[in-house]
Amino acid sequence: MSNFFDTLSVLILFSSFILMANKMTKSYIKTFRIQSMLLALAVGSMAIKSIIEEGRFDVLVVCLLIIILKVIYIPNLLNKAYAKAEYKVEKDFILNIPILVLVCCGLVVFCYFCLSTIDGINDGVINVQVVNSISVILIGLFFMISRKKAIGQIIGFLVIENGIFITAMFSTQGMPFIVDMGIFIDMLTAVMILGIMVFKINEEFDSIDIDKLNNLKG
Amino acid sequence: MGIFLVSVPVIAVLMFILFKNSRIQHIISLVASSLSIIIAVYLTRNVMLFHSVSYSAWGGIFYIDYLSIIVLDIVLLISLIVSIYSIGYMETEIKHGKIDRSRLSLYYILMYSFIFTMVLALTVKNMGIMWIAIEGTTLSSAFLVGFYNDKCSLEAAWKYVIICSVGIAIAMLGIIFLHLSSIGVLESQQFLDWTALYDNAKSLKSPIVKLAFIFILIGFGTKTGLAPMHTWLPDAHSQAPSPISALLSGVLLNSAMYGIIRAVAIVNRNLGSSIYTGRLLIALGILSIFTAAICILAQKDYKRLLAYSSIEHMGIIAVGIGIFTPLSIFGALLHMINHSLTKSMLFLTSGNILQKYDTKQISKIKGALKLLPVSGIVFLLGLFAIAGMPPFSVFASEFNIIVSIFVAKRFFVGSAFILLLAIIFAGIAVNLFKIFYGNNQEEDLQRGETNIPGTVAIVVLLVVITITGLFIPNELKDLITQAQNIIIGM
Amino acid sequence: MKILLYIVIQLFVIMMVAPLLNGIIKKIKALSQKRKGAPIFQMYFDLYKLCKKSSVVSDVSSWVFKVTPYIVFATAIAAALLVPVSTMIAPEQLPGDIIMFVSILALGRFFMMIAALDTASTFGGMGSSREALISSLTEPSILVSLFTVGLISKSTSLLQIMNVMKDKGVPLVHPVYIMIFFALLTIIIAETSRIPVDDPSTHLELTMVHEAMILEYSGRHLALMEYGAAIKQLTFITLLVNILIPHDQLIALTGISAVMLSLTIYLIKVIGVCIIIAIAEVSTVKLKLFSIPNLAALSFILSVLGFLQYFVLGGRYV
Repeated sequence: MSNFFDTLSVLILFSSFILMANKMTKSYIKTFRIQSMLLALAVGSMAIKSIIEEGRFDVLVVCLLIIILKVIYIPNLLNKAYAKAEYKVEKDFILNIPILVLVCCGLVVFCYFCLSTIDGINDGVINVQVVNSISVILIGLFFMISRKKAIGQIIGFLVIENGIFITAMFSTQGMPFIVDMGIFIDMLTAVMILGIMVFKINEEFDSIDIDKLNNLKG
Repeated sequence: MGIFLVSVPVIAVLMFILFKNSRIQHIISLVASSLSIIIAVYLTRNVMLFHSVSYSAWGGIFYIDYLSIIVLDIVLLISLIVSIYSIGYMETEIKHGKIDRSRLSLYYILMYSFIFTMVLALTVKNMGIMWIAIEGTTLSSAFLVGFYNDKCSLEAAWKYVIICSVGIAIAMLGIIFLHLSSIGVLESQQFLDWTALYDNAKSLKSPIVKLAFIFILIGFGTKTGLAPMHTWLPDAHSQAPSPISALLSGVLLNSAMYGIIRAVAIVNRNLGSSIYTGRLLIALGILSIFTAAICILAQKDYKRLLAYSSIEHMGIIAVGIGIFTPLSIFGALLHMINHSLTKSMLFLTSGNILQKYDTKQISKIKGALKLLPVSGIVFLLGLFAIAGMPPFSVFASEFNIIVSIFVAKRFFVGSAFILLLAIIFAGIAVNLFKIFYGNNQEEDLQRGETNIPGTVAIVVLLVVITITGLFIPNELKDLITQAQNIIIGM
Repeated sequence: MKILLYIVIQLFVIMMVAPLLNGIIKKIKALSQKRKGAPIFQMYFDLYKLCKKSSVVSDVSSWVFKVTPYIVFATAIAAALLVPVSTMIAPEQLPGDIIMFVSILALGRFFMMIAALDTASTFGGMGSSREALISSLTEPSILVSLFTVGLISKSTSLLQIMNVMKDKGVPLVHPVYIMIFFALLTIIIAETSRIPVDDPSTHLELTMVHEAMILEYSGRHLALMEYGAAIKQLTFITLLVNILIPHDQLIALTGISAVMLSLTIYLIKVIGVCIIIAIAEVSTVKLKLFSIPNLAALSFILSVLGFLQYFVLGGRYV
């Protein structure tokens, strides 16, 4: 079973690499959807495990919420927000893709070396799932700074959120149920607010390019 | 009775949705915030009598102790003053055509959800729910920052939401690690419970607790406005409507700081010394003061200047917490109160100036003392107060912290601290004092105050900070000492 | 004696199966486009036909041009001999290892590139430069992925790696192997000139890479070139399936029937991979040349991630 979760964690990590290598906003959304599916798969398997072993159903509810929100609702919302934004120039990254991908690879190595010196993440042997999921968070952060479009930043935020969620799942077998629910509500509100703002920014600046937001300085 | 405190803002929000008449809305706002203050007084009395208040409702997540009651009182006091001030401010804005009357209810709904999330963050003992509430403060105040819907305020709001959400997400990671370190120590219904974590702090796994603290510091530090994560703060504070700036600066930063203080208490108890957290907090604190000093010197916008001053004061509080002696913690908590009152007073006054002159540029304002006889004087005295002049209260708490730094034999930190404070004093004096004198060229500006109730509230604040600067009431001293004992662990 | 037997069986299997794969892939593509398509044995007929014809050699070309088809074919055969189709037929020890495998293939590619330059036609030069780009991009990820499995099995000999992998059962659910599996699959697509890296079925000067290099060849020479390419493709697929999806441990029989069963399962696996490649070919479009580095970077990242997982796991259950 731990083999299976290790593999899922590495696949989630790889999906964030694919996200980094994507060029178009549409495919960011698609890759995010795939990543969320993998997340739902991981959480779903944990849910089945916890139902069998402890008879708890709360993880299953979390899994269903992931499917409803992250796999279906939020990608659709983003697609709508993207369709509304009129000004579309596809290329929006600063460095070229192989360099971005290699930097991400460096982030994984960095993460491994940082975590390998910390005792207690897992008895003696470093926990591969935690390393992979924290790398997802770092890659999400790097994605946010490497993209100039507002939608790219939202996707980066969501990837960070996915990474944190999967870290929580893998390292602690889930947060208390009420905290999980709260995180979902917060995340959903955040994405909706950001979606509305993308629309407003597009209206006001005639573009969703974040580089144009440079009036406030000093 | 205490749980009712959390429901007051919720009921207020529902009422704002139901009643669209602006006069009724003003009244609801006043009643709600006065009611909260009454409950807060009751809670404070209870806390002073029984050391902590907790309720069994909803799995017993409500818990108030000396530390949270201090911050909670600040929140409710300032929201009362802001709600008094908002009436006049918003009416003037509507009269000037800055906003539609229909947006007033949106303003109140968002403001009260903002207050609700802050109150929630301060009254729960589960760190996860505290995190949710602090993230909620970002979300509810996002549209308040972007309330004017123009280019600058949208930009500020976007930066605010993105930077704070990501920062807070990192704090979540820290809380997850804190949770991880407690697995095997705590029962499953105690997970993330602050009191349980604190009582069992010695048996948590230290390496993970250390890791968790870094993430929590960075995460809540973003929200607190510590440099180098401060970049959203000047934008958001300068673009938000002035009452909201007062809330953001006086209240929100404290709520986030409260999260850091809670974590520091656990980590220091776990590690048995304050060296680890102290280094990080002092470094971030001094860096914040330094950044603020540089930016204040070259500032052209008075609301941004005040915002940078908030960064400075958060840095001072961080240094106070970082030194971690009883005296410095006392100073830091006192400074939290004093800074909130002084800074919200200044932001509210700056709202008066902004409405009179319709500009945020320092260079375009002349003769504020003549045009705004009350607000001008309050602003001038407030600037002295915030820069740390006696007899105002900020001086008292800053002095406490400086003394504690030197008592702890941190001479380098202490001298850098004093030097930077002096630079900030000079910066504020050079930049802002020119607005008070001279004559205004534009003749069409009328002499006199527009927002009478708001101005009265501001004057009351000024009186309060002067009095607490001269002597600290015994009850307050007792409250802070008890809170300081909670943090230090006596 | 055993090694001689191995060479005979190995050569027989490789040479018989290699042209079949192209036929299968083409057939699947044709079916997906609602065409009937050529029969799957078409490549055998083509090779037979080409062998009967005489080859035309340009006056201005040197000996390199004439010798290259033989070198390409020989290197392909030599590389194929290093990768046993079944561990049952292999002797205890095989000479040669991963580095030799990669460098033999590089030798063949080197001759192919200079032969294309030799005729001084514009297409040849273009094809060579593109081939050099693609191969230099894919080589790191071949080496990293093969070294990772080498590290796990403490040997660089491909036979030894296969034997160790065999003892681990079906390792594909493991994070290291799944990454390497996909890395190798991407490499196969790039090395065997398939969509999305190259389009084997067109002669459009804007896109062709491999076809541009063999454009000047005809007759027997062309047959050798094509046959060599097919053998190379089969060798890579063998590498993939025999290292990462070993099957010999499942066979309880002994003797000749075991070998027959093993070879049958091997054939099924190879055809399975062919179907994956064909589906990839049908469902994607050709990348423009300057996007190939992105694909290569992804493939490299896959292999490096696999490599990293090995270290992160710290030998927990690899």
